[in-house]
Amino acid sequence: MADIASTRDRGNRSTDDGGTTKQGREPKNWRPFLLLIPAFVIVSFFFLAPLIDVFVRSITDPTLGIQNYVWLFTTPTNMVVALRTFGTSFLVTIVCLLIAYPYAYLMTIVSDRTRNMLQLFIMLPLWTSILVRTLAWLVLLQDTGPINGLLESLFGIGPLPLIRSTFGVALGMSQVLLPFMVLPIYSALAKIDKRLLPAAANLGARPVTAFFTVYLPLSRPGIFAGSVTVFILGLGFYIIPALLGSSKEIMMSALMYQQISGFLMWGHGTALGIFMLTTTIVVLALVGRLSKGTSLFAGRVK
Amino acid sequence: MRNQKLKRQLCVIALGGVATLLMAGCAGGNEAAPAPDRDLGTPVAGVVAEGVFDGVTLTYAASGGIFQDGQRDAAWDPFAKISGATFLQDAFDAGKLKAMVDSGNVTWDITNATQFDTARGCGTLYEEYDYSQVDISKVPEGTITDKCMVPNILYGLVVAYNTDAFGDNPPTSAADFFDTDKFPGKRTVSQSPYVDPQTVEFALAAEGKDINNVNVSDIDTAFDKYRALGDDVIGWTSGAQAQQQLESGEAVMGLVWSGRGYGAAAAGAPIAPMWDEWMIMVDSTAIPKGVKDPQAAFAAVNFYLGAEQQARMTELTSYGPVNVDAKPKVDATLETWLTTEHLKTGHAPNIDFWVENYDALSAAWAGWVTGS
Repeated sequence: MADIASTRDRGNRSTDDGGTTKQGREPKNWRPFLLLIPAFVIVSFFFLAPLIDVFVRSITDPTLGIQNYVWLFTTPTNMVVALRTFGTSFLVTIVCLLIAYPYAYLMTIVSDRTRNMLQLFIMLPLWTSILVRTLAWLVLLQDTGPINGLLESLFGIGPLPLIRSTFGVALGMSQVLLPFMVLPIYSALAKIDKRLLPAAANLGARPVTAFFTVYLPLSRPGIFAGSVTVFILGLGFYIIPALLGSSKEIMMSALMYQQISGFLMWGHGTALGIFMLTTTIVVLALVGRLSKGTSLFAGRVK
Repeated sequence: MRNQKLKRQLCVIALGGVATLLMAGCAGGNEAAPAPDRDLGTPVAGVVAEGVFDGVTLTYAASGGIFQDGQRDAAWDPFAKISGATFLQDAFDAGKLKAMVDSGNVTWDITNATQFDTARGCGTLYEEYDYSQVDISKVPEGTITDKCMVPNILYGLVVAYNTDAFGDNPPTSAADFFDTDKFPGKRTVSQSPYVDPQTVEFALAAEGKDINNVNVSDIDTAFDKYRALGDDVIGWTSGAQAQQQLESGEAVMGLVWSGRGYGAAAAGAPIAPMWDEWMIMVDSTAIPKGVKDPQAAFAAVNFYLGAEQQARMTELTSYGPVNVDAKPKVDATLETWLTTEHLKTGHAPNIDFWVENYDALSAAWAGWVTGS
């Protein structure tokens, strides 16, 4: 949605510019809108129309009314899983941020050749099937897997709960989502003028102070963009919690799948979907307010 | 300015027109001519006339793996070869079926569903069988449990245990599955998104309850029994995962589909079935409501039920045949996993109760699979 808003913003700006020109050139002004048609058609057919259908089903299946939402809020399971979903996604966002920031910084100070290598390493996982990667984790992390085997033979401890735990789920999800954090942060860090740090030192700031008062604030757009992307993508994970977690790590998508395909309760399933969408938007709005002065998109620094 | 506004309006109208056209295009694509009524005579299981379904395309939707491959090789492809029909395979999903039936655009002709699915959805999601078109005389007794099905396979929910761990002193009852003192180690139990009433019944059998005489409060009793296992119980969300957990030794025992236990044993893992107490399972072969050519679908099911086809299906999948005359040639490993040899010690499901109390069961199941 924000995507559309920002595009429209730019569109308006060009219209405003056009407005100052003479009447005779006016017909040109609406033509840029034609460029929007493909996006408009795609968004309305494949996003808006299904979304409206989902919403309508959530208040009409099986009968007209809010019974599905009543069910949603009065069933403890739903609330437990919703909180767990947001919690896990938040944890993964923090983990990704802590790993991605130094990595992205490294990318800004090395030679072009090394940077390309670093970029390749971060992109490689994206080109591998998520299922294959998760199964690889499963083999590595399980009680009878090599990590626990090594721990036992070397230190006599274990098996540690590496799998069927929040640790396993967060690990698997962080690996998948890391590129979505590294790339926006890198693009923000690359824009920061490196001379600002010596300048700060020159004015008496110690390295730590210089980092926190100069460098970090300038990188905020990247942190914000990366975190929002990772957080939202994380909310929808299904297969990783199913394979690396136990029933206690199952997330919202599994609950929706169960209602839709298992129980054929489409009213319940769609209500869960609308609930997730709404709460995500609310969370985003809150975060947006907290991070005033930065934008959702790293490119548009005000 | 007005000129611009007008053009913008025109633009919107044009877009609206495009949208309407697209929608019409989507909606109008599924008008098919009604299927012809052919005279096929009295059906004999496993027999179809040559070339009688030339040009007909049928699609079978099931749960994949060696199970669906085996059925394809044993029955569907041979049927296609003789009758002239084209047989396609697809992955079954109950939600997708509901979407097809709701929109009146059914692209599956035959599906594999559970007995509970067909009993619940008979007449709404599934077509009632015309048993005059399918020869059911050789179907095992008691396996037709509602009007919308014939049996698909005869299998079971069995305790598969690790013989390295318990080879000398194997578990011999449902109660043993819950006895972590005598049989220490992790057990794996279904936590799949699909409700499995027989997982509940198994726990009740372990409690010594009569499965044919249960009530709603027993559902919680059953789940509490699993929860009481604490860290010793792990879940499987798919058959493949159950098999992996048994093969890797992650679980020393599991309440799994017999075919998955066999899969682990056939792969060389030290896994054996406990036949002293197990849950008999029958899957349904069902025809989706609003199928385009019911006659062709019935004929294909009739062919599937043949003794030869069933024997071959069992050889390929390890799942029990649904024709009493079927004589599969099986090796030693497969023989130990054949449910049809042990029907006397199996518990048959209380289908009526679960269909009636499905909402209570599904609510409890949702709690069980999400750890709350």
